[in-house]
Amino acid sequence: MTESELVVAAKKGDRHALGQLVSKYNERIYNLALRILRNKEDAEDILQEAFLTVIEKLDTFDGRSSFFTWIYRIATNASLMKLRKKKLVFAEFPENPDFEKSLENMAFVDWSQDPSLNIHNEEVKKMLGQAINQLSETYRTVFILRDLEQLSIKETSKILEISEENVKIRLRRARFFLRDVLSKYFSERIVS
Amino acid sequence: MKKNIKHEKILQQICDFMGEDLDAPACKEVAEHIEKCPSCKIYLDTVKKTVILCRKLEENKKLPKDVNQRLCKILNL
Repeated sequence: MTESELVVAAKKGDRHALGQLVSKYNERIYNLALRILRNKEDAEDILQEAFLTVIEKLDTFDGRSSFFTWIYRIATNASLMKLRKKKLVFAEFPENPDFEKSLENMAFVDWSQDPSLNIHNEEVKKMLGQAINQLSETYRTVFILRDLEQLSIKETSKILEISEENVKIRLRRARFFLRDVLSKYFSERIVS
Repeated sequence: MKKNIKHEKILQQICDFMGEDLDAPACKEVAEHIEKCPSCKIYLDTVKKTVILCRKLEENKKLPKDVNQRLCKILNL
């Protein structure tokens, strides 16, 4: 059965079809929630909540978006609700619309080939993990969907219900912030 | 002056360029500029490296069996 056929069958109460949809997306939804919330217990809560919502609202799914987009939107929104309740303090981003223009005056140092900047370096791991934690939901979700889940700009904009231009702006800023963290680490290491 | 405007535009577009259709006219323009501009090349390479490191850090985890069992139980599957 195709995914659309599975959805139609699940709507009619076919538990086997529903089970196949759950098997198809359970790991992806768990990983998505884990990336947004960075906590295993929270990710499990969202996994359950997302599929319970799917079952509850399956009747209202009209197929205008893909099932994938729909379930991702449900899981992303549920994760964000949980994230908001945690009341974390996030990094501040410049609201200046000319933010990217500031890049023009920067001198870039090429550390992309530095062998010490790898994921086996515990310092780098810790630093990047903390930096991702500092991204507020606005930037974190776009970065996760686009760069970690590797969805297209179009898919990301549909899931988050924002314009493609907005996805691009948020993505630029998130990447700039994370890149800057590594740049600072590299510079400090050179100086010391 | 014209060169500066282009340089600034390219720096803004570098992130859009990554992972998109590289044959699109806008991407070709960015690619051509990057080949000639060391500063933009460094920026692109370091952004790419950042994303690669984040992907490795956040790579897919297998769904734990007990988590899946609890899910199936809740959903009556």
